[in-house]
Order: sequence, then C-alpha cells, then structure tokens
Amino acid sequence: MSTGEQSVSAPAGRGTYRRGASLIAHHVRLHPAAFATAVTGAALFAVCTVASTIVVQRVTDNVILPRFDQGHVRTGAVVGGALAIIVIGVIGAVGVVVRRSFAGITTQRVGQTMSGQIIAKLQRQPLSWYQQEQTGDLVARAGVDVEAAINILGPLPFASSTVLLIVLSSIRLLSTDLILGGAAVMLFPLIVILNTVYQHRVERFYDDAQHHLGRLSTAVYESFDGVMVVKAFGAEGRETERLASIAGSLRASRMQAVSLRATFETLLDALPTLANIGLLVLGALRIRQGALTIGDMTSFIFMFTLLVLPLRLIGFALSELPHSLAGYDRVRSVLDDTELPDPAHSIVVLEPAGGVRLSDVHFGFEDDRDVLSSVDLIAPAGKTLALVGTTGSGKTTLLELIAGLMPAASGTVGREPGRCCLVFQEPFLLATTLRDNLTLGATFDPAALSMALAASEANEFISELPDGIDTVVGERGVSLSGGQRQRIALARALIRQPSVLLLDDTTSALDPGTEGKILYNLKRDFSTTTTIVVASRPSTIALADEVAFIESGRIVSQGTHEYLLATIAAYADLVAAYDDDRALLSEAPTDEPVAARAP
Amino acid sequence: MTADRTTEVEQLGAVKAISRGVKAAPEFAVGIGRTVAYAMVGAVGRVTVPILIQQAIDRGFKKDKIDVGLIGVIALIGVAVVIITSVAQRAAVARLGYRSEDALYSLRVRLFEHIHRLSLAEHVDERRGALVSRVTSDIETLSDFFRWGSVAWLLDGTLMILVAGVMLAYNWVLALVAFVVAAPLIWVLRKVQGRLVRAYDTSRSENAAMLGAVSELITGSATFRAYDATVEMSRRVRGSAKRRADAQIKAGVIGAFLFPSGAVFSAITIGGVVSVGVALGPSSGLTAGALIGFIFLTYRFLEPIAEFTEILDQTQAAVAGFRRILAVLDIPAGPPDAIAPIRLPSEPLGVHVRHVDFAYRPRPGAEDVGEMALRDVDIDIAPGERIAIVGATGSGKSTLALLIARLADPTGGEVFLGNVDLRRVANAELRRRLMMVPQEPFLFDDTIEANLAFAQPGVSQEGIEQAFEELGLSDWLAALPTGLATEVGERGTQLSAGERQLVALARAYLARPDVLLLDEATSSVDPLTETRFARAMDRLSEGRTTIAIAHRLSTAARAERIIVMDHGSKVEDGSHAELLAAEGTYAGLFEAWLAATGSAINGDAPTGGTVGA
Repeated sequence: MSTGEQSVSAPAGRGTYRRGASLIAHHVRLHPAAFATAVTGAALFAVCTVASTIVVQRVTDNVILPRFDQGHVRTGAVVGGALAIIVIGVIGAVGVVVRRSFAGITTQRVGQTMSGQIIAKLQRQPLSWYQQEQTGDLVARAGVDVEAAINILGPLPFASSTVLLIVLSSIRLLSTDLILGGAAVMLFPLIVILNTVYQHRVERFYDDAQHHLGRLSTAVYESFDGVMVVKAFGAEGRETERLASIAGSLRASRMQAVSLRATFETLLDALPTLANIGLLVLGALRIRQGALTIGDMTSFIFMFTLLVLPLRLIGFALSELPHSLAGYDRVRSVLDDTELPDPAHSIVVLEPAGGVRLSDVHFGFEDDRDVLSSVDLIAPAGKTLALVGTTGSGKTTLLELIAGLMPAASGTVGREPGRCCLVFQEPFLLATTLRDNLTLGATFDPAALSMALAASEANEFISELPDGIDTVVGERGVSLSGGQRQRIALARALIRQPSVLLLDDTTSALDPGTEGKILYNLKRDFSTTTTIVVASRPSTIALADEVAFIESGRIVSQGTHEYLLATIAAYADLVAAYDDDRALLSEAPTDEPVAARAP
Repeated sequence: MTADRTTEVEQLGAVKAISRGVKAAPEFAVGIGRTVAYAMVGAVGRVTVPILIQQAIDRGFKKDKIDVGLIGVIALIGVAVVIITSVAQRAAVARLGYRSEDALYSLRVRLFEHIHRLSLAEHVDERRGALVSRVTSDIETLSDFFRWGSVAWLLDGTLMILVAGVMLAYNWVLALVAFVVAAPLIWVLRKVQGRLVRAYDTSRSENAAMLGAVSELITGSATFRAYDATVEMSRRVRGSAKRRADAQIKAGVIGAFLFPSGAVFSAITIGGVVSVGVALGPSSGLTAGALIGFIFLTYRFLEPIAEFTEILDQTQAAVAGFRRILAVLDIPAGPPDAIAPIRLPSEPLGVHVRHVDFAYRPRPGAEDVGEMALRDVDIDIAPGERIAIVGATGSGKSTLALLIARLADPTGGEVFLGNVDLRRVANAELRRRLMMVPQEPFLFDDTIEANLAFAQPGVSQEGIEQAFEELGLSDWLAALPTGLATEVGERGTQLSAGERQLVALARAYLARPDVLLLDEATSSVDPLTETRFARAMDRLSEGRTTIAIAHRLSTAARAERIIVMDHGSKVEDGSHAELLAAEGTYAGLFEAWLAATGSAINGDAPTGGTVGA
C-alpha cells in the first residue's frame, strides 16, 4: 500500500507517457479483438455526435426558421429532420453500448489474465520465497495492483472517441467558418488544460488523504485489537482521542480537496457557458456579415454543449496513467521475480521403510547466523522420534526441511517413499467447510476420512456442529477453538495415510487427556508411520521411542529419554523446567503450606 | 458480512437508512436548506445558454436586420448571470463537501467511542476485521458518495427541476409533449436499475471472494505445499478470478445499456418536440427561438440521466454502508458507567460474588438461545487474599473474571468490590483500583517505554525503570540492547511470549491497583523467563487481593485458596490440601494430570513401538 502512495504522486513526465504507451500496447495485445470492437463503437459515437450537430443546423435553417418566418414548410422536411435526429441519436447510443460493453470486457479479461499470471507465479514459488514477502502486500498485487494496472484501459476507447470528436468537430467548425470556428477550436485545449491543472493539484490532497487513511486503518486495527488493555486501563477516552486526531488530519486533507474541487468544478461549468455566450455574439456578427446562417451558429453552440463532457473526462482518463503504471510495475515485480527451485526436488528418496535420514545438513537465513548446522538425524521407520529443544533452537525449521518446504543450504535430506505430512503448530484453515479443509480439494475414501477423524479425536465436537463435517468455519461461519483447529489439522494429515508424519507441537492447545488419547491412537492406527514430533510436554516426550535434543541449531544427542536424562545436563534442565509444575504438585499433599513456597 | 450479523437495520429501506444515518451524524443536515437554495441559483447558470439563444433569435435576429447591440446587451446580462450563479454553485458544492466531511468525521468518532465501549463478546478475533471495516472502508464508501454522488444528485436534481420549470414557462404544450415522450424512460430506468444494482452486488461480493481466495492462497502457502494442494488451490483462485471478471462484465454491460438511455430519449424527445413545435407554428404563440431553445433544454433535461446511472452503484453502496454502520451503533454498549457513583473505601478491597448468573448474548440469527455460562455463583475473597480459579475449558472461569473486572455485567446477581456493587462504581475509579492482566498480553507497536506509559500517562523514565527494578526485572531490561527504547513490534511480536508477559506485568504494576486479576497464559515459555515471571508475579501480588485464572495446577497449588468451576457453577472451594483430601473434581483434575505426565518423569517411557492394544 505504502509503495503505491509514493509512486502515485510522481509527476507524469514524458517518460510516463512513453511507458504508458507500452503498458497500453501490452494490455491490448492480450485481448485485441475486444479492444478493437470497443474503439469501433467509440468511433461510431463520435461520428454520430458530429452528425447530430449537422442535423440541428439543417433543422434550424430548413425547418424551424422557414416555418416561423415564412409560415410554411414541407412536411417531408419536418419528418425527415425529426427522423434524422432520432436515427442518429439511436445509432450513436448503439456506439456507446458497444464501446462501454467491450471496454469492460477488455479491461476485465486483461485483469483476469494478469491475475491468472500472478496466481500461476505464486503457485510455482516455494515456501522460502513467501517468507520474504508480506501477505497483505501479495494480496494487493493480485487485487488492487492489477485493478490499478488495468484501469487505464476502460477510459481508452472513450478517450479515442473524444480525440476523433475533436478532430471531426474542428474540421466542421473550421470548414463552416474559419473565424468563428477558429475561436471555438481554441477553447478545446483551454478546457483540457484547466482540467489537467485541477487533476494535478487535487491529486496532492488525495495522496495526503490516502496517507492519513492508511495511518488510520493501522491505528484503528491496533486499538480494537488491544481493546482488552484499553478497557483494563480505562483508556477508552484516550484511545478515541488518539484515533480522532488522525481522523481529523484526514478530514483536513479532504476539506482542502473539497475547496479546490468546488472552485474548479464551477470554473469548468462556467467556462463553456461563457464560451457559448461569446459564440453567440461573434456568431451574430458573422451572420450579419452573411458568412453564417442562424442554423450554423445554433449547431456550433449545440456542438459545444455536447463536447463539454468528453473534454472534461479525457483529463480523468489521462490522470489514471500514473496509477496504472505504478500498479503494473508492482504486478511485474512479482511476475519477473526469479523462480526459486522447489526444495522438494532435492529430497533423496530412501528405500521403503527407510525412515528419515539427515546428514550434515546446514540451513541459514541470508543475513543471520546459521539456524541449523551439521545436523545428522535418523528417525527409524515406524517409530516416533521426539524433537526437544528451547524456543528458537531450530525445531520447526528442521521439520520444514524434512517436509521439503525449505531448501537445505548443504547436506542431504532423505525420506522413505510415500507421503510426508507436516502438521503446523498454528493450523491454517480455509474459510469453507470442514470437509473441504480436510480434503483440500482432493478425493478420499470415506473410510479413510472417518478413521482420520476418529484418530484425531475430532468426531465428538464435529457431531455437535450445526452441519457436522459440512459446517463452514471462519469469519462467516463457526469459529473453532485452538484445540479443535489442531485436531482438524491433524486429521487433514492422517487421511493422507502418510508414511512420514511431522508434528510441530500440534497438540499444544489440547488438554493432556485428549492429547494422550490422540498419541495413543496414532501408535495404534499408524504403527508403520515414521513420526517426528516437536514436544514441549513431558507427556508427549513420554510417548516417543527416541528423543533428539536440539540446541542452537545443532543436534546435541539422540537416544532414549532416560539416556538423554542421564547424559545431557542441558536436557535434564529443560525437562526439569517442563516438569516444574509436577514437582511442586507432587510434594503438595505431604507439604501442606504450599502457599508458603510463594513468598 | 451480512451472513455474519443480520439485524433489523440491515433490512431498512434506503430512505429510512439514510434518514437514520443523518440522525446519527446531524452535521449532514446542518444548513441543508441553504445549500439546496444555492444549488438552485447555481442551476440557473446552466440554463442561461438556452434562454440566451431564445432571446437572441427572437429579439436580435429580425428578418433583415440583425441587432448586434441588443445581442451584446443580452450577452452581457448572460455573463453577469453566469458569474453570480457560479459563485452560488461553488458555495453549494463547498458547503455540501464541508458538511459531509464534518459529519463523516463525527460519525467516525462516534464509532470509535462506541466500539471501544462494546463488550468483549463483540471483540472476538473473527469480528475484528468487520469492526475495523466499519470505521474505515464503510465510512469511505460514504465519503466516496458524498464527494461525487451526492454532488451529482444535488446539482443535477436541481437542474432537472429548473429546466422543467423553464420548459413549462416557454410553452406548456411543448413541455408536456417533452415530458410524455420522455416518460417511458422512467419505466426503463426502474426496470434496468434493479438488475444493475443486483449485478453490482454480485460483482462486489465476487470481488471480495476473489481477494479472500488470493489471501488464503498466500497465508495457506505452507499448508498447501505440505499437502500437495497448490495446483488445486490455484485452480480455485483462478476460477474465482474468472467469476469476478464475469460478474463485473455483466454489470458493465447492463450499465452500458442504461448509460445512453438518456441520450436516446433526448433524441426521440427532440424529434417529437421539433415536429409538434413546427406543427403548432407561430399562431400558437410559440417562437422560433423558443423552439430552438427547447432543443437545448431537452438535452439539458435528460443529460443527467447518464450520470445518474453512473452514481447509482455508489449510492447503493453508500446506503449499504450506512446500514452496516447503524447496525454497529445499535449493538448495546458494554456495561454503562455508574450514574450516581459510590466511592470505593480507601482500605484494601475484597471481592464478593453473589448469586451470579451469566449468559452470553446469542448471536443474531443463531437458533439456540445462549447457554448459561455461569449459574448462581457465590464467592467471597477477603482483602489481600490470593486465590486461584481452576476448571476445564468452558467451565466459566474466564467469564467469572470478566464479571469481576466489570467487562460485562451479570445477567443475574451482583458483584461487590469493597462492598460496593460494581454497577455503582465509577469506571475511572474501578480501572484505577482493579487491574486485569489478560492471557495474551497485548502490546502496542511502539517502544517498551510507551507501552508502560499507557498505564500512567506522563510517567517519567525513572518511574518506569523503578517499576522494573521493584519487580526484579531490571536485569532483563538491562540485557536489551536499546533498553526502554526497544521497539516491541506489531502486537509485541519482537519480544518472546514470555517477555511480553513481563512487560505486561510491569505495566500493571505501574497502575498500582488494589485488586489484581490475572488470566494465566497457557503457552509454554522458556525456563529463564518463567522464573523471572514467577518472581515478578510474587512481587506484584504482594499486599494485593489477587485472583488468578489458573491454567497450571502449580499456580493453583501456590494460591491460598482454590475455587473450582465446572459447567458454570462453583463446585469446590478450599486450599490445595483440603481439595485433594475431599477427592472431588480438583483431585480428579490433579490425578489426570499426574497420569498424563507421570511416565516421562519416572523414567519409564515405553521403549517399544506401540502402546497398549
């Protein structure tokens, strides 16, 4: 968003127009037929508009004036004139319908094509690429940025008809009367210039307003997000004041725009009117000199009346150009970004029932220390390995490497054949039905589905939901608790019958009882699955066959829990910290004044 | 959003919604009469040309002689009229703009105030986006409307009325002909308008759906990659992009047919007016100038139709925005401030919960009535006592905390603080004396210093440092490279979960409350921070009435007294030892917990591949 604001305020220099032309060429090449149809409709409209002014001249000179001056007129001329007005009006309207419809079709189809390109690009990029990007920013690329990039297309056919209209009417004006025509033609650029100056000046206030609006959105979100703290400190009034002051800046920018706009809108209305009055006086002189008929003068004024709107709108059309360029640049930056290789391709496939093997694996973020260094790890097939370590020791990264989501900087990651499913600590749910969330669009045997749900202990709460497994979750549906979400995420992995299952502290939001049941179910129903589980509870560690202790990106030791307890002091300390609760409690029954422990 | 909360307001008719919206922000209506009057005067400027043409042709152009002098005079009068009316029109546009901005500002501020006062039940995560939209994008749709649509309605509306008047004054027969010929346009507009509005609605919701789909594609990127679902998900998003384009094209095509309808009717009407005018002839009192003037007037009369079709969508969006905003203002605010507050005693405060019932307000549209979250709860907490409340998820322990902090009022019974009914305590005093530290302490995207100053505006840096010192946290603070100036990031995410809790404790300490209400965090924290937290917590609770919503049994065990909640009722009350001896719910919880954790500790973890069965 912020990048958009900056580039929008850039003045439209000559480079802008050159780049604009290539942008338009790019867009048009995507759907040329629709665009050509729109321009044809626009041309039809321009021709009809000029034709209608000729008809007005004829009707004035040959029908109205003879009838009122001489008292009679041929009926044929009357009928012909009226029909000509109607027919030309209808044809012109057909031109407008064609132009608008096809301008819309061109714009939307180009937009669809560009969104499709971005989506395809997003699909091809691996997870490591996403970690350098911000979600909101990427959504903007496919949404508002594409929209900005294509916005230039909509008004283009209209602008082309305006240009044609100016050319045709100038020819007509000048060929009818050089002096009056010349005076009239000179006003065309004046209106366009006035409008362009206005656009340029008001843009600054709109940019300011946009900036304040961005600030306001951020502040409002934070203030509502932290409403608990705001309430706890009785700071509702203070917070309202803070937000109101930002809203006040927004209002001030808008007020300035209002003032400027009121002046220019009025000028842009008054100018053609004054010009028409001038035409009337000058026209009278020319009529007296015999150079012009009353019909000519009337049709000049009529033409001016018809031209006012197109002349004003062409300025708007051009004002879109810098926005469109900025939007297009941001779209291109995603499309032109180098595609990173898919880390899944560098996974070595081991023999069946080969478990998971990592040897000498390194991983680091570009400007940071190594997250993982010289990791050697063996997870035996069909067994459960617990990964234990403090926060930030590299456990999650390790799982992401095994799942083939992130690339190892060096070393090899080997995995037995079959599916590998990583269950994330923060489960991601789509705002759709639970069923869709489980299948993610793939098809599964109903038996596998019910088995997975049973193993994840999810059946009970699902049966209590209004539509069972077809209940919609998310903003427009039912909200699930953290533990429920974790169970759905687990079931999502289990229906895929993984040969390797990676659990990133997936049961952290569950009560120990449910967690125990789930881990027991896994042992029972997925006995051939190789499982690696990040554990931070003694109960989880308890159910593992082996434990790998990880500290600052290195595997310190791997073995049974008892072995690690006996040999690794840091491991014993960490487990003791996890056990702290229990230690206190187990003493409690015999040591009555427990509260005394807390001074 | 509509599925989320369908209230009566959502079904309000457009006119009613607008009039209620104007009531909510009276600035809209300030001086509206004068604004319309100015607009009327301004509209005169836009019919000047047709009138001048009529005058010039009828009076300036005689058969053989052209009175340029007279035409000059007419023109000068015209110029004067244009200048005067332009000033009036500018005033009208500016007034409308200023009033609208004032009104939108005050509407926004009212919303800030109201939303901050809404009970926490309204502030659930899923609704946050919606609430933010009310004060940002919804107000912005109104703002768009008031900047463009409303100006068009004002100027074009007054213009149409004035033109109709001038037509009638020139020649009522011809005017009636024009109205009759143009009348079917109203039918066409009404017919197509409904379809256009629906098409715009569809296109808006398809647009939102596509943005949502793209957003999911990105936020779920890790999941989709881990589950090989990228291809399928991209296919869905592309489908969504196509549906959006289709919907927008459909709306565009309907609009394309509607847009030139005014022009078509003005061609037909001009044809009709000319034919009838010529047939009537000079004997009817019609003049050539008036007939030519009519051509211009007819064009002017129907010119705004095109613009109306353009602003229709904006207008509709504005009405919908009004409805959504009013729906939020209609939600009753959280506990109201005491009207005749009673001062709390200055000595340490106890808490008494008497026969308290509580039921969450059912969601609109939900079929089942909200279940009772609390039923006839009685609790007595002496001044300075330290108690813990335990219970399974959904037992009502967090709800109880909300009632004690008066973030909601009980649906039955009373809560007393220092023997004063909470409803009689002034909010400002309550917040000074009782402090709640939530489970997930929220920090503002600012420095640690600024976050602490939130508790006590104007506190000095020394005061803040002293607070850390007294809580035994100065070593932690000193270890931070930039100390108090450390930026904590959005929601405090630059700090670890445990560190956020430390800052939250220091913030609560600065407020020096008498009663401390702590909702314990469930997430695991690294051992060192845990130790610091426990130490700070002990110092913080020293001499204060402390109520902890405990998620860990160790916290409960440390308390002087434990209250056990189950399914909304208090089931046990006593010390750790007493409750264990009673062999009730608490003892059961404790045993289950022991069983779940026991094996790892006793070192008898199963070494085989399977457990049981």
